[in-house]
Amino acid sequence: MDALHIRNFSIIAHIDHGKTTLSDRLLHRTGTIATRDMEAQLLDSMDLERERGITIKAHPVTMTYKALNGEIYELNLIDTPGHVDFSYEVSRSLSACEGALLIIDAAQGVEAQTVANVHLAMKQNLTIIPVINKIDLPHADVAQAKVQLEDILAIPGDTAILASAKEGIGIEEILEAIVSRVPPPKPTGAVSLQALGFDSFFDTYKGVVTHVRVFNGELKAGMHIKLLHSGKNVEVKEVGSFNPKPYIREKLEVGETGYFTANIKSPKDVKMGDTLTDARNPSAALPGFKEIHPMVFSGIYPINTADYEHLKANLGKLQLNDSAFAYQAESSVALGFGFRCGFLGLLHLEIVQERLRREYNMDIIATYPSVVYRVSMTDGMVREVDNPAFMPEVNYITKIEEPMVRAFVICPNENIGDMMALISEKRGNVDHTETLDTRRVMLTSLIPLNEILIDFHDRIKSITRGFGSMDYEHTDYRESDMVKLDMLVNGESVDAFSCIVHRDKADTRGRALAAKLKEVIPTQQYAVAIQAAIGGKIVARETVSAMRKDVTAKCYGGDISRKRKLLDKQKEGKKRMKAFGTVNIPQEAFIEVLKA
Amino acid sequence: MNSTDITSLYVHVPFCAQKCSYCAFFSEASSGELIQRYVQALGRELELVADSLRPRTIFFGGGTPSILNLRQWEFLLETMHRLKLTGAEEWTVECNPATVSLDKARLLRSYGVNRISMGVQSLDENLLDRLGRIHSREMVFKSYDILRAAGFENINVDLMFAIPGQTMAIWQSTLTEAVALGSEHLSSYEVIYEEDTPLYERLHAQEFDVDEDLACDMYEELIARSGAAGFRQYEIANFAKHRPVADPTADKEAAAEESGMTRILPSQACQHNVNYWRGGQYHGLGPSAAGYVGGVRTKNWSNTEMYCSRLEQGQRAVETTEQLEPLARAAETAAFGLRMNIGWPFQQFRRITGWDMRPEWSVEMDQLITRGWGRADADRFQLTPAGLRFADAAAEMFLR
Ligand SMILES: Nc1nc2c(ncn2[C@@H]2O[C@H](COP(=O)(O)OP(=O)(O)OP(=O)(O)O)[C@@H](O)[C@H]2O)c(=O)[nH]1
Ligand code: SF4
Ligand SMILES: [Mg+2]
Repeated sequence: MDALHIRNFSIIAHIDHGKTTLSDRLLHRTGTIATRDMEAQLLDSMDLERERGITIKAHPVTMTYKALNGEIYELNLIDTPGHVDFSYEVSRSLSACEGALLIIDAAQGVEAQTVANVHLAMKQNLTIIPVINKIDLPHADVAQAKVQLEDILAIPGDTAILASAKEGIGIEEILEAIVSRVPPPKPTGAVSLQALGFDSFFDTYKGVVTHVRVFNGELKAGMHIKLLHSGKNVEVKEVGSFNPKPYIREKLEVGETGYFTANIKSPKDVKMGDTLTDARNPSAALPGFKEIHPMVFSGIYPINTADYEHLKANLGKLQLNDSAFAYQAESSVALGFGFRCGFLGLLHLEIVQERLRREYNMDIIATYPSVVYRVSMTDGMVREVDNPAFMPEVNYITKIEEPMVRAFVICPNENIGDMMALISEKRGNVDHTETLDTRRVMLTSLIPLNEILIDFHDRIKSITRGFGSMDYEHTDYRESDMVKLDMLVNGESVDAFSCIVHRDKADTRGRALAAKLKEVIPTQQYAVAIQAAIGGKIVARETVSAMRKDVTAKCYGGDISRKRKLLDKQKEGKKRMKAFGTVNIPQEAFIEVLKA
Repeated sequence: MNSTDITSLYVHVPFCAQKCSYCAFFSEASSGELIQRYVQALGRELELVADSLRPRTIFFGGGTPSILNLRQWEFLLETMHRLKLTGAEEWTVECNPATVSLDKARLLRSYGVNRISMGVQSLDENLLDRLGRIHSREMVFKSYDILRAAGFENINVDLMFAIPGQTMAIWQSTLTEAVALGSEHLSSYEVIYEEDTPLYERLHAQEFDVDEDLACDMYEELIARSGAAGFRQYEIANFAKHRPVADPTADKEAAAEESGMTRILPSQACQHNVNYWRGGQYHGLGPSAAGYVGGVRTKNWSNTEMYCSRLEQGQRAVETTEQLEPLARAAETAAFGLRMNIGWPFQQFRRITGWDMRPEWSVEMDQLITRGWGRADADRFQLTPAGLRFADAAAEMFLR
């Protein structure tokens, strides 16, 4: 297809505003999917995605559309992950497009994720086509949505298309707008092939299947190509597109999207966002490549130490389809052998853990998540620390910097006070307050990533009784007075309980952790001292008082055998508990505390 | 008497008028016919073991042995007499205060039963009710008098503490009234939540909480009050009066007692139970009864019909047997013997088990001593009062 008849676009939206439903509609209207016997929301193919209603992977689908002008167009829809955790993946997908459909739920209006996604699309210079969806809803407020488009996003309200993905209203108009408003792809003018690899999945027979968008030249089976950032040369085995099932094509030309395979065994061999070019006559890399760096780390340990190899194998399988997920072996005094795992964000972390538990049936303990700190040392070195266990001693540290995010919080007017309080509790600064409409405001603030990891989102939801929304983008590092909080059990530090916190919060956190530990450590024959310490200074202490007796009397002839078996079993059980000095901590205690 | 003869006999009577809410013993509400069949079967079982049995202690437990009627008791006692199984130094029958009659008491006494264990459990009407006991306070006092009138000079009272709903005040008044009865023996234990009992179900339905601290306080109260009333604790849950006979070593022993460590058993201690804790042999007859003969632990079928039909075919009714390795067996004996305040005299232990405690368990003994839970003399090892409260932990250490 000549480039003039190709349009590449994405759909961006706040969660649940109707992105997947609209995609389905477009697939139908273009005849890409003929019958209604497809599963609803076809693009969300992973079970978990469908269940949680969130799209994790970016799927490209090629549609053929005969426009009102009588000409045939190839429309490539690149579905993007909606969630903030995956914002790099969103930008990667966006950079494969020239335009974006921006969906706004007519009843909800602009939400935090709408703002964050529009920022990303604008950074990529995409043509934005606003679509006000769900106009069939009785409380749809189209006028309000238009005002918000203009006021918040600086997009002219009258450019918006009114639609109902559910009722099939406005679909034709959207397709026409894609053809008329989104510019066709233009060759870059480079000497040879330039294509962007923006996602991948693993196929047992074909190896890594990489999703690509060709910017210049053409991509064909048999070509020797070079992956510029990964530094690999491979021979292309197969190229094709999705409709939405993969189908083989002779070649992919300028502006087209699809996939290629090349007997690549490990997804790690293809960096996402990489530029593919002709190995014999290479062109320059496309702009915008970034290495994916996990933002959040957590240790994952098998509850049953015998499951270590099994866990390792399953993490490997997970990684095949999730190149953003990183892991490496580590060990903990408390938990034994496990893996340090890196995630894009908290949702990503939850998804991986949930998949391990549900799809792979693994019993795991995940340690308290940590962000990556930059620690400047007295010897001039700068170390990145993502695990409290590796935080250097205080006297070797000159400063610690922590990652910050710009957070957009949208909330009803009446919750502003509580929301400001929450943000300042989270060590954030509100630097911008914007009225969205008569009911809502948007607070833009700078907050440490570490503070939004655990309960920020839930707290917003509970403060606003579900009406608030939040999104964020990563910004820079900022120097902070961070300290390592150690938890000591009878004087011994238990690494699995350590965490890095801001000095102002260390006492509170220490007290909360100590209280929780007191709750979950069973009484033993001796009193157990639980202490929270910062650099040797005790900031909180609790005592699990000693058991006063362990005999529940009575043991006559008939009881002896039974009692002996019981004691034998207890003796065995103690061997399986983690012993710290004379204290036994059951596995469940670790799980409970990490949930605290 | 043959040296291999068994000198202890336990007989299980698996019937109760009604099932108590905490009880996991094998017993069932009675049907006249089955009781009759059981009595006959038991007669046969007695015949099967009589040759190797020269009982010095006999214990009829249950269940509720006193639920058997006069005729049934007469049959059993007569059978035992015929088999030369009577004449034990200590012969105990458990009685439920609701099922004691003067006639029955006299009958038992006349055949040589000389000790009665009364399942009192509580003297608080509400708690008795809650536990599903069929007797009242009044019945306790009344049957106690009947037993004394029938000539029983050795009576045990069973009490329970840490019953859900039992306050310290209730426990104290039960203790006061119970020791005022003037019995020779007291055994008292904490409620145990056994699976498959209504009480356990209720605990798990969170109808009430277990208050560990209160249970401990009640145990301390038990020890203090029983001590003040002249009982000597000789095992974790057992207390007995001491009527010293003229004995040249008595003074020395008394001096040792001053130091807080008991070295002799009180004279009214239950010899039958002491035999269990000393790793002694015993025959166990009746459904679900456990026996320990020749190093083999046996357990009869916990099913009265099955039990009866086995015996009707002239066979013993053993369901399971278990034989431990010699060291494990000795370890078990060591572990359970330490439940007694007098601990283990080294020589006695060696005589019974064939193992010398000092080299074999020296690590464990040292650990216990360092913790303040154990104490070793030239002649014995015993748990201290603090150690007795952790007898399970100590036992666990000794097991092999
Ligand atoms: N009434 C009405 N409901 C709609 C319309 N479009 C979508 N929905 C409903 O809105 C809900 C969310 O739709 P999705 O298409 O899953 O939204 P999404 O944007 O893909 O959601 P994420 O993938 O989680 O970001 C579903 O229950 C849809 O049925 C519409 O035009 N009208
Ligand atoms: S009387 Fe004794 S054996 Fe019978 S049910 Fe009650 S506690 Fe159990
Ligand atoms: Mg979706």
